[in-house]
Amino acid sequence: MSGLTRRDLLKGAVALGGGTAVFHAGVERVAGQTTQKRELAFAQGGDISKFDPHFSTSSNDIRVSFNLFDNLVTRYPDGKLHPGLATEWKVTAPTTYSFKLRQGVRWHNGDPFTSADAKYSIERTYDPAAKTMVATVFGTIDRIEAPDATTLVIHTKKPDPLLAARLAFYGGQVVPKKYLESVGPDTFNAKPIGTGPVRFVSWTKDDRAVLEANPDYWGGKIDVDRLIVRSIPEVAPRIASLQKGEVDIITQLPPDHYERVNTGPTQVRGALYAGLYVLAVNSKRPPLDNPLVKQALSLGIDRDLIVKELWRGRGVVPNGPIAKGDNHYEGSLPPLAYNPRDARERLKKGNYKNEEIIIETTAGYLANDKPMAEAVVAMWRDIGVNARAEVVEYSVRAQKNREKSFKGLFWSDPTSTLGDPDGMMWRLLGPGGPQDYWRHPRFDELGAAARSSVDEKFRGEAYREMTQIFLENFPWVPVIQPYEDYGVQRYVEWTPNPNQAFEVRRFNLKMRRA
Amino acid sequence: MRSVLAFLGWRLGRALVVLWLVSTVVFVVMRLSGDPVPLLLPPDAPHSEILRVRAELGLDRPLPVQYAIFIGNTLRGDFGRSIHFREPAMTVVAGYLGATLELGLTAFVIAAVLAIPIGLLSAVRRNTALDHVTMAIALVGQATPTFFLGILFILVISLKAGLLPTSGRGDWHNLLLPALTLGAFTIASVARLTRSAVLESLAADYVRTARAKGLTELVVVTKHTLRNAALPIITITALQVGTLLGGAVVTESVFAWPGIGRLCVQSIYNRDYPIVQCVVFLSAVTFIVINLCVDLLYGVLDPRVRPR
Repeated sequence: MSGLTRRDLLKGAVALGGGTAVFHAGVERVAGQTTQKRELAFAQGGDISKFDPHFSTSSNDIRVSFNLFDNLVTRYPDGKLHPGLATEWKVTAPTTYSFKLRQGVRWHNGDPFTSADAKYSIERTYDPAAKTMVATVFGTIDRIEAPDATTLVIHTKKPDPLLAARLAFYGGQVVPKKYLESVGPDTFNAKPIGTGPVRFVSWTKDDRAVLEANPDYWGGKIDVDRLIVRSIPEVAPRIASLQKGEVDIITQLPPDHYERVNTGPTQVRGALYAGLYVLAVNSKRPPLDNPLVKQALSLGIDRDLIVKELWRGRGVVPNGPIAKGDNHYEGSLPPLAYNPRDARERLKKGNYKNEEIIIETTAGYLANDKPMAEAVVAMWRDIGVNARAEVVEYSVRAQKNREKSFKGLFWSDPTSTLGDPDGMMWRLLGPGGPQDYWRHPRFDELGAAARSSVDEKFRGEAYREMTQIFLENFPWVPVIQPYEDYGVQRYVEWTPNPNQAFEVRRFNLKMRRA
Repeated sequence: MRSVLAFLGWRLGRALVVLWLVSTVVFVVMRLSGDPVPLLLPPDAPHSEILRVRAELGLDRPLPVQYAIFIGNTLRGDFGRSIHFREPAMTVVAGYLGATLELGLTAFVIAAVLAIPIGLLSAVRRNTALDHVTMAIALVGQATPTFFLGILFILVISLKAGLLPTSGRGDWHNLLLPALTLGAFTIASVARLTRSAVLESLAADYVRTARAKGLTELVVVTKHTLRNAALPIITITALQVGTLLGGAVVTESVFAWPGIGRLCVQSIYNRDYPIVQCVVFLSAVTFIVINLCVDLLYGVLDPRVRPR
C-alpha cells in the first residue's frame, strides 16, 4: 500500500470519528483545565534508542538525555544561554575559557559532581577509544584543565566565540566519570546516571521509559513526581491518546491536524524550528553548476502557497541561509521571492537547454517532504524547467549523502546547533562539510574568519556578505522554516524548545492544579 | 513407529534446508539493500569515522567471509550483535518476543473461540438471516485492512465510548483492542471456511446414516460432522498463525505495541542485519514447527493419512 493512500485513509478515519469524539471530550473537561496528576506522560513518534548522551543526536533521544543530564551551559526555549552546571564563564586569554562550576551538585547515585567529571565528559566525546557519535562537536578544543574541583579551563586551538553555545547542545551533556569508568559504557547506557532533574527508573523498549523526579535537583524539584516517555509511531493513535487524556503532551503533530487538536481540553504549542527545510543542491552537476539556473529555480517556487496549502500556515518563508531566531539573522531582508517571469528570463540568460533536473525526495523523512517536492516540480515545469521528483528511501538518502552522489537536489533540514550561522550554514556548506558541493573563495574566507573571531560586529558583516554570495549561488534552495508543533493538555504550562530539547525543569513546566 | 520416525527425520531434514535457504536469502537481500553505517553516524561524520565503524562491525570484510562467519555463528545460535542496539541480537529479540506472543496467542484464541462456533452455526442454520448476517460481517472483516480497523477501534471504542485504552502495553484492557484487530481477518476466514467444510460434511453419506440411526442433531453435528470437517479447519487455522505474525507488524504500529513486528520493520530501516536475520529465522522456525504439528495432528484425527 502506498503511504499517500494510507495517510489519506487515516485522515478520513480521524475526520469521521474524531470530530464528534473531540466535541464530547471537550464539553466534559473544558471547564476545569486543571489536573490532580503528579505525573507527566509524553508520547513521541519513535522510541529512545540510547540513554548514553554521547551516542545519539536523534530528537527522540535528546528529549530525554537533556533531562537526565545537565550541560555546563543551557539554552532555554527563548533561545538564550543560561548557566547550567557552570555558574559563570569568562575569556581569560584569546584562546582560554574559564568556567566556574556549581557547588554541591550530586549525581543521581549520590557521588559529588566535580570538574573532573566535566573534563572527562568533554574529552570523552572526541576520544577515539570511546567511539562516540558526537566526535566532531568539540573540534575547536585543544586541551582541558581541571585545576580545582569547581574550576574548568578550556584551551581552544583558535578563538572560539561559540564555545558556550557548543557546550549547550548535544555532546555537551555531562556524564559521571567515576560511575562510567567503573561500570563501562554498556551498563551506563542501560542504567544511566546524571545530575539532571529526572532519574532513570526503567525502560521497556518501544513501549515506555519511566523516569522519576530528582528531589535534590539543584534547580529545584520539577513539578511532577514522574515522567513517562511513550513511543506511539502512528499519528492518529498518538492524537487519540492525547485526546483521551492518556498522555499530556504529544510531539510531531502534523500541520493538517492543527485545528483538530487545538480545541477543547487540548491545544497546540509550536516552536519555530531552529533551522530550515532546504532543497540542497549538488552544484557539481550541470546545469546546477550554473548560478543563473539556480536563481531561476529559487524564483520559480511559490513558497507562500506551500506554507499556506501544505503547512496550513505553520511556517515562514526564509529570506536566506540563516534561520529566524539565530544570531545575525537579518530581519530587514525580504522573504525569498516568487517571480516566474524573472525565473524564465534567467533560464534563458543562463542558456538552460532543457536538461533534466531531479529532486531526490524522501517520503516521510521530513514532514511534507514528498508533497513539497511534487509541488516544487510542478512549479518548475511551469517556468519551463524539465523537472522530475524521484522518491528514495531514507537509508538510500543517507548513503547518497555520504557518497555525495545526489543527481540534483535533495531535502535537508539543516539544524542550527549553535543558534548561529556557524553551526548551520558554515558547518554544513563549509569546505569538507557534509554538503560541500560548491566552493567560492570569498565565502570560504569569510566563513573561516567568522568562526574564530570574537568581534560580533565583524562576524555580523561577514555573515551579511556570505548571505549575498549565497543568494547569487544558491548552494541550498531554502523552502520553509516550519513550526514544530506539539499537542498539549491545557492544564500543562510548557513551552517547546526550538532546538527539540524537551525542557521539564521548573522554569519551563508547571501543571495547573485545582 | 519406525515409519513415524522416518517421517519425522525426513521432515527435519527438509526443515534444515528451508532454514538454510531462508537465512541465506535474508543475508543476501539485507546486504544488497545498503550500508547501515551512514545511518548510525551524524551526517557530518568524517570518512575516517565511517571506515572505523565499518571495520568495528566487520562490514569491511569480503562478503563470502561475512557469510561464512554468519552461518557458523547461526549454527551456534548466535545471530551477532545488533548494529543499532549494540547488544546480542537474540537478547534484543527475546525482549520483544513476549509482547508478540501475548498479542498473537490472544488473537489466535479469540479467533478460534469465536470463528469455529460462528461458522458451525452458520452452516447448521444455512440460508437463514443469522447465516447471512454473520457471513456478511465475516466478509467485511476479511476485506478491511488491519490499520483501518485498528484506527476505527481506537476512535470508536477508546476515544468515543471511553471503554479501553488507546494504545500501549499493560493489563488485559490494553490487550483487547489490538488482539481483536489482529484476529479480525482470522476470525473471518476461519468462520467462512468452517461453514463450507461443515456444509460439505453435512451432505455426506455418513451423516445421513447417523441421522437414520436416530442420533440427535447435536451428536450428529459435533461427533460426526465436525470431526470430519476438522482437517481443513485445522489447516487454515494453523496457517493463520502466519497471518497473525505478519499482520502483527501493522497492528503493533497502530497500537504502539512493543513486539517483534515493529522491531523488525525498524531494523530493516536501520539496516540492522543481525536483528532482521534473527527475527526471520525465528519466524521460519515457527512456521516449520506449526506445519509439522499440523501434519502430525492429521494423523491423530484421520487414520487414513497415517504413515504406514
